[in-house]
Amino acid sequence: MRHFASISSNPSLQRAIHLLDPASLREFRARRIADPVERLRYLRRTSAQTSNTPAFLRNLNARKALPYLGLLLFLLTPSPIPSSTRDISAHERRLVGATKEAFPKVWIVEKNADYESYSNGLRVETKLRVSNRPRRPFPIYVKGQSAGFGSAPAGIVFHTTESHLAPFEAEENNQLKRLARNVIDLVRTHQSYHYLIDRFGRVFRIVEEGDVAFHAGWSVWADEQGAYVNLNDSFLGVAFEAQTEGGLDKIQPAQIHAARVLTEMLRSRYRISSANCVTHAQVSVNEKTFRIGYHTDWASNFPFAELGLADNYATPVASMAEFGFEYDSVFVKAMGNRLWPGIGAAERRLRESSTANGVPAPKWKSILQQRFRKIANQLASNPSAASQTANDPQGESQ
Amino acid sequence: MNKSAQAIGLDVGTSRIVRAQQNGSDFEFESQLNAFVAIPYSKLTASVLAKEGVPHTVQGSEILVHGNESEKFADLLNAETRRTMTCGVLDAKEPESLPQMRSILTSLLGEGKGRKLVFTVPAAPIGHEENSTYHEATLKQIFSGMGFDAKSINEGLAVVYGEMEETNFTGIGISCGGGLCNICLSYLAVPVVSFSIAKAGDYIDASASQVTGERANRIRIAKEEAFHFNGFFADKTQQVISVYYDDMIRSLVAALRDTFTSTRNMPKLSRPIPLVLSGGTTLPQGFHDRFEKILNESHFPIALSEIRMASNPLHSTAKGALVAALSE
Repeated sequence: MRHFASISSNPSLQRAIHLLDPASLREFRARRIADPVERLRYLRRTSAQTSNTPAFLRNLNARKALPYLGLLLFLLTPSPIPSSTRDISAHERRLVGATKEAFPKVWIVEKNADYESYSNGLRVETKLRVSNRPRRPFPIYVKGQSAGFGSAPAGIVFHTTESHLAPFEAEENNQLKRLARNVIDLVRTHQSYHYLIDRFGRVFRIVEEGDVAFHAGWSVWADEQGAYVNLNDSFLGVAFEAQTEGGLDKIQPAQIHAARVLTEMLRSRYRISSANCVTHAQVSVNEKTFRIGYHTDWASNFPFAELGLADNYATPVASMAEFGFEYDSVFVKAMGNRLWPGIGAAERRLRESSTANGVPAPKWKSILQQRFRKIANQLASNPSAASQTANDPQGESQ
Repeated sequence: MNKSAQAIGLDVGTSRIVRAQQNGSDFEFESQLNAFVAIPYSKLTASVLAKEGVPHTVQGSEILVHGNESEKFADLLNAETRRTMTCGVLDAKEPESLPQMRSILTSLLGEGKGRKLVFTVPAAPIGHEENSTYHEATLKQIFSGMGFDAKSINEGLAVVYGEMEETNFTGIGISCGGGLCNICLSYLAVPVVSFSIAKAGDYIDASASQVTGERANRIRIAKEEAFHFNGFFADKTQQVISVYYDDMIRSLVAALRDTFTSTRNMPKLSRPIPLVLSGGTTLPQGFHDRFEKILNESHFPIALSEIRMASNPLHSTAKGALVAALSE
């Protein structure tokens, strides 16, 4: 250790060791070249050589090795320079969530003007896709105040198209195809979802993932980061060609399979937590009556397990826990007269928070509803203004 | 002729195309608006345009005036200019995109004669798949048809090459143009992270146009000629522009923070690095201060030695492309 200490306190030796690092050496040499064009030429040439050097040689680190191994100059450390720009570009935009959750690994295999295919067997028809306005950074609320912004999709909302369905039989093939095409045309016109899965299990990209789709306007969900209000910007929308009323048993196995591989791909691409893959009924709210379940698609029977997801019907309903929303008998019926475990969990959480804040439950609920009204007013008047307020609670805009 | 000395750097932006060339020890720049406008054909108009030297092409019953002159005609005729590009890449929906792009490039560059040319291409916007393959391949085809030995460079990296020789081309280069803001973190001239966001000058123009009812073209002129960040606006248009400018800057900062926070394979930076802002959208007075204020509030994950404007925000990308061409 004394030997190590003497090295640490000797500036010239430190400099020498520092220069044994290949990147530092390149930097040192480059600084001695006065002409910027020549310097750039040198750096580009040597960086190409560095990336062609075997990894174990690039990764040698002298500082750790010298005190202990007189003959060896370097130890293995991670290379500071990526092997090539191309390697990085594939992952550099992926936003890693705060959780340690394991995410599926899916990559694109082939892409052309008409379709994309993926390593898990997913095929996305892209010919019919449309653009919309780009996704805006969306505020994430903690205690009714914006605590920050997200920019990459934070979750997936599953919908049903509620469109007319024909019997799923071979002789109805043309009719099935025609109905699928009709619903695709409709949702393209309204930019309703990012993806639609037709009854044959074909996956169509409707709206570009980087653009907003109008699939979940008045809606709320929350995760460990905070609450999301109006999920159009923050969540991707995936619709099954299906009907809720007496029709969910008509979901085809091909649709379930397609939804599974699509969900895997999206979770892989954006590091979306399983807890943020939810149904429209779970997130939809009526902002005027403070009731949950304004839309009731997938209010029951969503095949979470078949899609490789946690049963999110058990997750506390965010609109109830965070903003004091309530459910009514109509929604209970939509749930198949069986309350989700998440409703009870949300009610418990609400009681706990009212106790923790020393406020009676009805009053606490009213305070939470006030918080939502404030956010809703900001969003309704100007989404950009709402975003501004988030980082700027005093309202200072300049 | 020394082909290296005659190398060209070209910033192919949604709004403008800027050419950089070396003249002795200096750099020389020339730019053309990357736009055109259609005016009704008449023999008289065609002959007047030819006489005045206004670059144009006759297309059936229309005359298409391209480049810098297009804006004057658009204003005169109360029409919107059309663009060959949208969101940083060739506009596949614009039927005149390729012929007009070729015309503008020909006016700006002349014949290639085997000269080296490095042109800028955008990085993929966050949330989108790589979408510049067609754009890049098509431009390469046009340049090689004109006789150039053409290569591409990422736009953000070009800012680094144009502005950061002092730090051995290590730092963050940002180019805010018409269609996109392009960002690149470079380490010793190697691009480590590059991406773009689809919010830039055009987003401000289009959004402000919707609110005020003014044409986007007029908003752009108002923005470029008179807008500055001063915190108080008597004029409604200026007020609206300030709101959307702010929105754009916040989006840019959020994207920077999120991407750099989540990127693996980041080099171990031994000292703080500079961040340089360039591009036409950064020109309003006060942009730098507003950006710096919002960035400072954002818990930015990388230590910065300075945040500064490019020495010439309109030309630094083209200059970087030229430096890359010269170093080939």
